[in-house]
Amino acid sequence: MPSAPAVTGGDSRVWRDRGGRVAAHTFLIAAVIALAGPFLWELLTSFKTLAESTKVPPTVLPEDWHGDNYGEALTGIPMWKMLGNSVVNAIVRTLGQLLFCSMAAYAFARLDFPGRRVLFGLFLTVLLVPSQLLVIPQYQIMQDLNLLNTLTAVFLPGMFSAFGTFLLRQFFLALPVELEEAARLDGASPLRIYWSVLLPLARPGLIALGILTMIWSWNDLLWPLIVTTDTANMTLSVGLTSLQGQFQTDYPVLMAGSLLATLPVIAVFVVLQKHVIEGIALSGSKG
Amino acid sequence: MSLPAGAVAMVDEAEAAPVAVADRPTAPGRPRRKRKGRLDRHTGLWAAFFLAPTTIGLGVFYLWPVVQTIYFSFTSWGPFGGHTFIGLDNYEAIFQDPQVGVAARNTLYFAVLGLLGLPVSLVLAATLNRPGRKGVSAYRALIFLPVVTMPAAVAIVWRWLFNGDFGIINSLLGSVGISGTSWLSNPDTALLALAVVGIWSTVGYNMVILMAGLQSIPKQFYEAASLDGAGPVRQFTSITVPLLSPSLFFVSVLSVIGSLQTFDLVYVMIGKTSPALPQTRTIVYLFFEKAFIANDRGYAAALAFVLLLVISAITGLQFWLQKKWVHYA
Amino acid sequence: MRRRLISVAVAVGTAAVMALAACSSSTPTEASGPVTLSYGVWDKNQVPAMQKIADAFHAANPNVTVNVQLTPYTDYFTKLQVAATGGEAPDVFWMNGPNFQLYASNGVLQPLTDVQVDTAPYPESLVKLYQYQGKQYGLPKDFDTVGLWYNKKHFDAAGVKYPDDTWTWATFKEAATKLTDPAKGQFGAAAQLTGQEGYYNTIFQAGGQVVSADGKSSGYDDPKAVEGLKFWTDLIAANVSPSQGQMTDTAPYQMFEAGKVSMYWGGSWDAAEFTSNALTKADADVAVLPQGAQRATVIHGLSNVVFARTKYKLEAQRFAAFLGSKEAAEIQAGTGTVIPAYNGTQAEWVAAYPQFKLQNFLDQLPYAKPLPVSANTAAWNTAETDELTKAWTGAEAVDQSAKRLAESMNALLAKEGR
Repeated sequence: MPSAPAVTGGDSRVWRDRGGRVAAHTFLIAAVIALAGPFLWELLTSFKTLAESTKVPPTVLPEDWHGDNYGEALTGIPMWKMLGNSVVNAIVRTLGQLLFCSMAAYAFARLDFPGRRVLFGLFLTVLLVPSQLLVIPQYQIMQDLNLLNTLTAVFLPGMFSAFGTFLLRQFFLALPVELEEAARLDGASPLRIYWSVLLPLARPGLIALGILTMIWSWNDLLWPLIVTTDTANMTLSVGLTSLQGQFQTDYPVLMAGSLLATLPVIAVFVVLQKHVIEGIALSGSKG
Repeated sequence: MSLPAGAVAMVDEAEAAPVAVADRPTAPGRPRRKRKGRLDRHTGLWAAFFLAPTTIGLGVFYLWPVVQTIYFSFTSWGPFGGHTFIGLDNYEAIFQDPQVGVAARNTLYFAVLGLLGLPVSLVLAATLNRPGRKGVSAYRALIFLPVVTMPAAVAIVWRWLFNGDFGIINSLLGSVGISGTSWLSNPDTALLALAVVGIWSTVGYNMVILMAGLQSIPKQFYEAASLDGAGPVRQFTSITVPLLSPSLFFVSVLSVIGSLQTFDLVYVMIGKTSPALPQTRTIVYLFFEKAFIANDRGYAAALAFVLLLVISAITGLQFWLQKKWVHYA
Repeated sequence: MRRRLISVAVAVGTAAVMALAACSSSTPTEASGPVTLSYGVWDKNQVPAMQKIADAFHAANPNVTVNVQLTPYTDYFTKLQVAATGGEAPDVFWMNGPNFQLYASNGVLQPLTDVQVDTAPYPESLVKLYQYQGKQYGLPKDFDTVGLWYNKKHFDAAGVKYPDDTWTWATFKEAATKLTDPAKGQFGAAAQLTGQEGYYNTIFQAGGQVVSADGKSSGYDDPKAVEGLKFWTDLIAANVSPSQGQMTDTAPYQMFEAGKVSMYWGGSWDAAEFTSNALTKADADVAVLPQGAQRATVIHGLSNVVFARTKYKLEAQRFAAFLGSKEAAEIQAGTGTVIPAYNGTQAEWVAAYPQFKLQNFLDQLPYAKPLPVSANTAAWNTAETDELTKAWTGAEAVDQSAKRLAESMNALLAKEGR
C-alpha cells in the first residue's frame, strides 16, 4: 500500500499543473484582449459610417465595409508627406545618436583625459532635466537659427542625448580591455579602435539605443507640435492632432487616420519584434 | 514612456559609479606613467574629438536652455514676444495661483494611479516566465504592442472607446447591467480613465523589463526552495520579489517620471474645452497652456524651474527609499 | 469650433466709400524671381474654393504661386500667435473680428497701403471691423449668420410642423420636447456651449448684450443676459439636449449628422458640411432662429490680412486685394462654402445648395447683431468658457456663473484700456 498515496499525489500534481496552465492561459488571453482589443475595435470602426458608429447597441462588423474614411483621412492631412517627415525625423535622430553618443561614450569609457569628471557631471545634469521643460528656450534658439517651421528644427535637438551616451558607456565599460590592448600594440589609433574594435562588439547596445530612439522619435508630440506650423513640415503625431481638430468627433475617420499613422511602426515591430523586445530588456538591465 | 532616460542612467549610475569613476584604463604596474605628458596631450585631443559633437549639442540645446529658463523666469512677455525683467513676480504668482496646486495634485494622483499597473506587469512577467510556457513570444508581442504605438493615436482610439454614448466600454458594461458615464468629460472619472490608458500603454514595457530581471535569477534558488517545500506563492514572495527589486525599482522610477511628464494624453484626450480639464490638467499641460496658448512665457519658465526642482526632489526621495527595499545581488 | 467664432459685425445694406489713409512713404519693390506665398486658413470645407482662387491669382500673376495651409480652428490662433512671434506666420491669412485688434495693435499685420483697394462693394460694418487707427488691414471675405438647422425626418415622425418665422422660444421648446426620444437616443436640440451659434443669439433675443457698446463693461450681470443663458441650460436640465459631457464626447453637429439630434443652431457655413454628409444632405433643412423678446441672429465675417514681416510685401498685398475682388467672391459663391461679402454675389451662394432654404440666412440680416468684440476679445472668451461650463454641467446656478463671469470680464476689459 505504500505506493498508493504517491500515485494519488502524482495525479493531483498533474491535475494541479494542468489547472494552473489553464488558469495561466486564461489570464494571458484576458490580458491580450485588454491590450490588443482596442486595435481591433479601431480597425472595425474605421470601416463604418458616422451614423453606423453611433448605433446603440453597436454593430460589431461594419454593415457594409465603407472605405471612404481612409480617403477623408488622407485628404484631411497630407499623410504621405507627414509619413516622410516622420521617417526622416526618426532616422536622422537615430543615426545621430548612434554616432555621437557612441563617440562620447567611448571617450568616457576608455580615454583618460583631464576634466573627465567635470564633464561627466554636466552630462548627468542634462540627464536629470526633462527636456519638455526646456522647450521655450529651445524654441528661441530655433528662431535665432532661422529654423522655425522646418524639419531640421524637429530633429536637431534629438540628435544629441545624454541618455544614449550613458547607455553605451555602460556597454563599453563591460567589454574586455584586452582586445583593444592588442590593437593598440599594433599601433592602431583611438579612432580605429573605436570604429573597428569597440563598435562591432557593442552591437547589442547600439541596437537597443537605436530602437528606443526610433520609437521615441516617431511618437514624440510636444516638440514637433510647437516648432512646426505648416502641415507640410509636421510629423504624423502632430498631423493626427490636426486631423482631430478638423474632424472633431467623427470617429470612423479618426480611427482610419490613427491606424494609418501607426501601421508603419506596427509593421516594423512585427518584423523586428525579437530585436525590439531584447533591446528594451537590455536598456532596462544594466549593460 | 516619454523620456525614461533619466531613470536609466540614474540607476546605472547608482551601481556603476564606484567602478566607473575609478579611472579604469590606467591599469597599475604599466610603464606608461613615464610618458604621461605626451600621452595626455594626445589623449586630450582624441577626447576632444570624440566628445565634441555631443558636448556641443547638449550644451546648446539642453544646458544653455536651463540657464535661459532661469533667466526667463524673471521676465514678463508680450503677446508677440519681447520681454522685460520683473524680478520674482512670476514666482509670487505661481504660489498664489490655485491652478498650480490643483495641477500638482492631479499629476501626483496620476503618478500614483500609474504605479497600480506594476503588479499587473509583474504577474504577467512571472506567468510568462514559467519554464515550458507555450506561446510566450506571441503573448509577449501582443502585450507589447501598445508600447510602440504613438500616444497621439492611442489617445484618439481611447477617446472613442470611452465615449459616453457610443463607446464600446459602456456597451460592454451595459450588457452586464452597469450604466457607464462620459468617462473623459465627467470630472469625477476623467483622471482615472487617463490613468487606465497610461497603464495600458506601459504594461508591456514594464513586463519586458521585469522578464529580463526574472531570467537573471538563478534557477537553483527555486529548486532549493521547492525541496524545502515552498509553494509557488511562497517562492514568489521570498525569492522573486526580493531578487527582482532592482528591476522593480527601475520600472517604478520610470513610471513615476513618465507620469510626472504627462502631456500627450491630456492634450489629445481632454482638450481645451472639456469640462473635465480642471481635474485632469497636469503640470506639463499647464506649462504648455501658459507658454504656447496664453503666451505667458515668463510665468511658464518659472513653472518649469519649480517643476525641475520638484522632479529632482522626488527622484532623490525614490533613491533614498530604494535603500530600504532594493537588494542588489 | 471649426469656423466658429467667425463672425462679427455688421448691418448689411448701406455701403460707404472709404478713403484710405495716405500710402506709406517707402513703397516695397517687386520680387525679381518666382514667389511662393503661404496662405493660412482654418476651414477644411473651404480649402477647395481657396485653392481655386489661388490658382486664378497664379494665372494672372504667373510668377506668384500660393500655397494654401490648413490649420483647424481649434489650434489656428494658438499656432498663429506662436508663429507670428517667431516671424513664421503665413504671408496672408484669415483673420476674424475677435482677434483683429490684438494683432493690428501689436504690429503683426501689414495695412493694405501699397495696393488700390475699393471698399465700396462691401457691407460697411465689415469694412470697419478690419480698420485700425484709420488704416484698412483687410478686405471682407465673407459673412455669416446663424440659423436653425433641423432634421425633416424626425419632424415627420413626431408629427411636428417644420420651423418657420412664426416660431418663438416657446414653440422651439415644445417641439424639442416632442422630438426627444430616449429609447432611440434622440434629442430634440443640442444646447452647445458656444457664443456665436448659441448663447449670444439668445442673449440678444432676450434683449441683453454681451459687452457694452463702448466696449468697457460686461453685459453678463444683466438679468436679460441670464435669461438668454438659461434658455440653453433649461434644455439640458429637461433632458431634451445631451449633457455637456455628452457634447464633449461627440460634437453636437456630428450628433446632428448622425441623426441623434433633431435641431441644431448652426451657421450659414454649415451648408457645406451638411452637404458632405449623406444623412443631412437628404434630411436636413434650415429656418430662421425662433424669436424671444425680439428677433436676433449673430453676424460676423472674416477678412484676409497680410503678415507684417512677410518677405513679399507687395505680392502679399496684391493677393489679399485679389481675395476681396469680385472674381474671388464669385468663386466662393459658386462653390457655395460661405456667403461672400462682395455685394451682389450672395444670390449665387443661395443657389449653390438648392436642397436647403439658405435664403433664410439672408432674410435675417435686417435684425442681425454683430459678434461682440473688444481690443482683446480672446481673453474674455476664455473666461466665458471657464465660467459658463459650470452652469452647463449643472454644477452651479446660471446666475451665479454669469455674475462671476461679469466680474472677471470687467476686470479684463479694464486692462485693455491701459
